[in-house]
Amino acid sequence: MERQRLIETDFLIVGGGPAGCIAAIRAKEINPDIRVTVVEKAEISRSGSAGRGMDALNNVVIPGVSTVDEYVEAVSIIADGVIDPAISRVIGERSFGILKRLEQWGLSFPRDEKGGYIVNQFHPKGRFLVEIRGDMKKIIARETLSLGAEIYNRHVVLDLIKDGPRIAGAIAFDLSDGSLKTFVAPAVLLAAGGAARIGLNSTGYLHGTFDCPWCNGEAYRLGYEAGARLTGFDYTGIAMMIKDFNCPGLSTFIRHGAWLVNGLGERFMERYDPVRMEHAPGGVRTKAMLEELKARRGPVAFSFSHLEGRTLDLIESGIYEAERPTVRQFLQRRCIDLRSQPLEVVFSEVYLCGGHGLTGMVADRWGETDVPGLFAAGDCLANPYGFLPGAMCMGEAVGERVVSKAYSRPDDNEVDERLAVLESAIARHRKGALNVPVREFEYKYRRLVNEYVAPPKSGSRLARFLKETDAMVKDQDDLPAPDPHGLIKVFEAKSGLFSARLAALASFFREESRFGLYHDRVDYPEKDDANWQTRVIVHRGPDGPVLEKERT
Amino acid sequence: MNLSIDLECCIGCGACAEYCPGHVIAMNEENHPYEKYPDDCWYCGVCQIECPADCIQMLFPYLVR
Repeated sequence: MERQRLIETDFLIVGGGPAGCIAAIRAKEINPDIRVTVVEKAEISRSGSAGRGMDALNNVVIPGVSTVDEYVEAVSIIADGVIDPAISRVIGERSFGILKRLEQWGLSFPRDEKGGYIVNQFHPKGRFLVEIRGDMKKIIARETLSLGAEIYNRHVVLDLIKDGPRIAGAIAFDLSDGSLKTFVAPAVLLAAGGAARIGLNSTGYLHGTFDCPWCNGEAYRLGYEAGARLTGFDYTGIAMMIKDFNCPGLSTFIRHGAWLVNGLGERFMERYDPVRMEHAPGGVRTKAMLEELKARRGPVAFSFSHLEGRTLDLIESGIYEAERPTVRQFLQRRCIDLRSQPLEVVFSEVYLCGGHGLTGMVADRWGETDVPGLFAAGDCLANPYGFLPGAMCMGEAVGERVVSKAYSRPDDNEVDERLAVLESAIARHRKGALNVPVREFEYKYRRLVNEYVAPPKSGSRLARFLKETDAMVKDQDDLPAPDPHGLIKVFEAKSGLFSARLAALASFFREESRFGLYHDRVDYPEKDDANWQTRVIVHRGPDGPVLEKERT
Repeated sequence: MNLSIDLECCIGCGACAEYCPGHVIAMNEENHPYEKYPDDCWYCGVCQIECPADCIQMLFPYLVR
């Protein structure tokens, strides 16, 4: 296998989504001489879960509309009291600056007749949501390039390098020719997304997931192996999705006043959360939906027919133009007119995500993990329901920290050893002694997630998942990878299985029910604040994962 | 297959392959795009947005149609 020269940089960013790009921009703004390198699996103008676009900043603290304290309170309600408020506070403080930055770059945010931003409610309490118009990811990528960040598109980081306790760089795989590149850097930002392919989705296609399917827990695995602490794996998210397409629209529909109705036409949230109704936390909403289906009052759908024409115009322009234009084609194919017909929704697969949930690396208010020089931002950081603004706010904080702290150049004495291990692992996959296609392997662990990890959970089923997947852990290093693309799919599947097992372990550990459906334990049906209003932390111990409670 | 690619109007620029975030699309020896890894599609529509000649339409795979 061809080895290329060591590439030295001051700040290595793993993942060129919104978090990674804003980190690069901020570092270069403060110090144009700093060498910033972005390693991106796709192409940065269209990469990540926001690659096509996004129709709203869900959480911006607009002066005069809301306060940072109100924002932290709203997030705490969604997270059932189990958050580290420090990160949410940073997001609240920085979010308006991010909006102004995006506006300056050419994105627009609808305003009312008096010139103020139109701010909608999505959270259970408070108004923080501002709609976006414009092609966001292209604009952010353009700014990243204009400041001189060096971009390695179609490269995937497979391993991190350390120098004693501190970070020292990473080894990346070049998808174009299958070679390895080593980056030596005193500061590394992991911004490579959450884990989308955990449960098995109902569309019949493994990549037809709610969240971006090309991020499958690789950042969680890299951070864990480097020694970072992680949390939120007990928060196994499930979203309401447009049936068969498995495409979201929830935030758009709810903020504009759409109703959730059952097969009898009843607005069923009245039965479960009569005050907050559709604005109830996601786990409460999905649990209500499950109850309706169990009572044979399905199908469940969003109903729009009571809304005014101009509101429907806003919904359609948001989901068709700012987010995914393919929704329009899907609905046209199905002859579904939102103005007169309900839109059926189903459960998504289980996913793990920092921005749409609680799962990710634990970090300080600058995004730095317990490993000196290793940072996290975006969906791989525990930034509870930080959504898109959370990714960008924490990216900005990381960029500032990396420049101001001026990390010294690490020794790279681990490089040869790590390269040898990685080359040996890749050679083993090329041989592929297991002779089982990676898709079959992935289908199996995801089917097992649905059977044993997806809520409602029980200790016996969670233990069963771990037992059933022990053999898969042994098998995984012999999965065949006939070409560079196949190798990436193997690493994604291994990271997915790794993340699913952490989800089972953390869910087993939390002996109570919390987060609505998301951690509904049939063997511990009550919420137990006295013992469990804590985060569940997981980190790498000498004999495997170690789990701990951490009161926040 | 997820896409309808009209090769009559395709100008062979390769933008669809370059920007596809899932590496689903590749260019063949005749410089025409094709779905090399159709199972990896998210139906995001980046390919059709990036096509300067407007040759690509999302059809969706059969189970989603």
